[in-house]
Amino acid sequence: MVIGLHLPQAGEEELQAQSKKGLKKQQKEAEKAAKKAEKQAKLAAEQQSTDEDDFAKDRYGVSPMVQSQQKLDRVLVRVQELTPQRADQLIWLRARVHTSRAKGKQCFLVLRQQQFNVQALVAVGDRASKQMVKFAANLNKESIVDVEAVVRKVDQKIESCTQQDVELHIERMFVISMAEPRLPLQLEDAVRPEGEGDEEGRATVNQDTKLDNRVIDLRTTTSQAIFRLQSGVCQLFRDTLIKKDFVEIQTPKIISAASEGGANVFTVSYFKTSAYLAQSPQLYKQMCICADFDKVFCVGPVFRAEDSNTHRHLTEFVGLDIEMAFSYHYHEVIDSITDTMVQIFKGLQDKFQTEIQTVNKQYPSEPFKFLEPTLRLEYLEGVAMLRAAGVEMGDEEDLSTPNEKLLGRLVKEKYDTDFYVLDKYPLAVRPFYTMPDPSDQKYSNSYDMFMRGEEILSGAQRVHDAQLLTERATHHNIDLEKIKAYIDSFRYGAPPHAGGGIGLERVVMLYLGLHNIRQTSMFPRDPKRLTP
Amino acid sequence: MPMYQVKPISGGDLKVDLPTCMYKLPNIHAQPDSGSCIDNLLQNGEVDPALKALEQRQDEILRRLYELKAAVDGLAKTVTTPDADLDATSLSSAATMCASKEVADLDTLLGKDLGALRDIVINANPSSPPLSLLVLHGLLCQRYRVLSTVHVHSSVSTVPPKLLNCLGPRHADSYTRQRFQLGFTLIWKNVPRLQMKFSVPNMCPIEGEGNVARFLSRLVGLEPQDPVAATQSDSWVDTAVFQLAEGSGKERAAVLRALNGALGRGPWLVGSELSLADVVCSCCLLQTGTSATSTPANVQRWLKGCQNLGHLACIIPLLQ
Repeated sequence: MVIGLHLPQAGEEELQAQSKKGLKKQQKEAEKAAKKAEKQAKLAAEQQSTDEDDFAKDRYGVSPMVQSQQKLDRVLVRVQELTPQRADQLIWLRARVHTSRAKGKQCFLVLRQQQFNVQALVAVGDRASKQMVKFAANLNKESIVDVEAVVRKVDQKIESCTQQDVELHIERMFVISMAEPRLPLQLEDAVRPEGEGDEEGRATVNQDTKLDNRVIDLRTTTSQAIFRLQSGVCQLFRDTLIKKDFVEIQTPKIISAASEGGANVFTVSYFKTSAYLAQSPQLYKQMCICADFDKVFCVGPVFRAEDSNTHRHLTEFVGLDIEMAFSYHYHEVIDSITDTMVQIFKGLQDKFQTEIQTVNKQYPSEPFKFLEPTLRLEYLEGVAMLRAAGVEMGDEEDLSTPNEKLLGRLVKEKYDTDFYVLDKYPLAVRPFYTMPDPSDQKYSNSYDMFMRGEEILSGAQRVHDAQLLTERATHHNIDLEKIKAYIDSFRYGAPPHAGGGIGLERVVMLYLGLHNIRQTSMFPRDPKRLTP
Repeated sequence: MPMYQVKPISGGDLKVDLPTCMYKLPNIHAQPDSGSCIDNLLQNGEVDPALKALEQRQDEILRRLYELKAAVDGLAKTVTTPDADLDATSLSSAATMCASKEVADLDTLLGKDLGALRDIVINANPSSPPLSLLVLHGLLCQRYRVLSTVHVHSSVSTVPPKLLNCLGPRHADSYTRQRFQLGFTLIWKNVPRLQMKFSVPNMCPIEGEGNVARFLSRLVGLEPQDPVAATQSDSWVDTAVFQLAEGSGKERAAVLRALNGALGRGPWLVGSELSLADVVCSCCLLQTGTSATSTPANVQRWLKGCQNLGHLACIIPLLQ
């Protein structure tokens, strides 16, 4: 009963305390509301007063929504074109408000366009009124504005901007699209290098927040650089292969049978039956070879229903696939692929140096090193190198991910290259369509390529003989009925051929030395993420 | 069997009522195959085949241990042999003995082959091609099956084609690395000093053209076996690399005089045969450029002799 007596009392006390707190809260809120009203009234008054005596009221404001009402002949200058050569010119410019900071009768803005930004100034004078400065100071970050301004040279370099030698003196400014006042993440926080934020007590943005608000995250200089470089990889891949007389092909992504083994495929409903999403364009590439296209490549999405939440797996990624008929030895194909990769690396090194530097600022890494022609090691050599380093493994055992990494380090130490080919994998660890080694049945004519110790390409000479293919498939216990169409395509004469597929996101991630593939996929798909 | 056998007193399959609240463990006393074991023993001494296999394995391990011991003893002998207090009289006999000995095979020189190609990686700056190493590469190719490859590192933008072909045409078998005894990988790279890497886990990189030349010369038996001659050769190598190739005009002139003097006493710098000293000195001389007027007569004669042997043929294109 003791307990019973005490309980209600305690409850009452609590209740009283609560009501007291509540009262205080209410009071505070009332105060706040009053203040707000006061402020608003003041603002309105100010607004009125500005309306009354603002000589510059036509020089700023919020433009009506651009609905293509008129077609102006106005030329908009790009921020990156703002150099001392344009000094004293009056120009129009459209950019985002990166920051805005009022200081007495002046307001400093940083205007941003993609990865470039410039300092701009609104100062009370004969062009701008006090009200205009106030307007500029109150602009929400990330709003898009049209600005008319005079380009002025500056005596001291502006270290915080990409255009360091000039600033803009604004004469007119109109908001084209206003951003909401509260941003889900701050751009400065999103580009802060890892670790630096912790020390200085400043915020960094975690990956999921970035990915949830990808539109804003993509505006950061780092993201801009990453995806420009990614576009460069694609472009260089295409250019190099076209120069080598390859033909770009398109392959279907909805297929009737699982291409590789059957595991890890997405099933989709297809009218009254079901279909699969292509795991690789392999079969179609090979069919094109059998159809005498000789050298083909394709760039397209590839789907893997692997429930692996690692830093390097996605469920949908972009595959850069190559297949090529060769004359006598599949090394002709290896040479072709590695040369393509080297051309890509060289192109990136030459044309994307600023992008690489930008990414390096946030994610420092050693520059990517490679050899030309590419280093080719054999699987047994790799195993021997690992054994010399104290790893115990069998001759025909596949490389585990940590062993791959270790081998990458060993190769880097000796040859100082981040890119190499490992040739002659054991037949047992490769798919059934891999051509066995002619001199040793335990090995195969297959190869993997590595960047910074991580696999980016897996390829092989394919069996192009229907009978051998049937044997190999039976050996792997594969239902012959399911791959009948595949085997049949080799019955009517097939040239010897080999090929491989590269993951675009992985190449970009490893080239830049990033640690998560989600950074190099614009809208990544993994087992836990389907949006945005 | 030294002991007598007694039949078990109680039956092996004694039934005990066990409570069900506890988990079961296999019986550690009763052998699962005790019945068959007894049978074996009762059949008068016939041994279990498993036991036999075990015995064989033990013998095998012991045999390997003995072999290993013998190998280590052999090594210890070579290491602990006192050569510091050898007197001059025995030197000459030692020299002749060594000279008659064939160059040891790669296994003893470089350690056991672990299945990987033994790859010698040389990082060289294209602004100063290591001519002497190219000559030694030619000599290596005469003795072993060498897989020679030239790469360009990404730290270097362009390399003249003659440097890309400096190791000669590609071997016809170059697609199977396992068929070679030795790899010779030359990487043109932006390095301040020439660098050689061989077995990364066990060996630090070797720096400097002279030092790498010494390493390679041991593989081709070009280094004099006689300690005195070896020391002289060593000295000439250093002189060539530091004073001839990198030295000032004055130093070069001094070296040329010294060379001329030494070559007045014999056809070669050290001993009666071509040695590492001749290779390195001639290469350094050729690289720095020689004019007929400034080169003393003996040196000119000796240079001709070197070229006549044919080893220097591979570097002639690089000198133009």
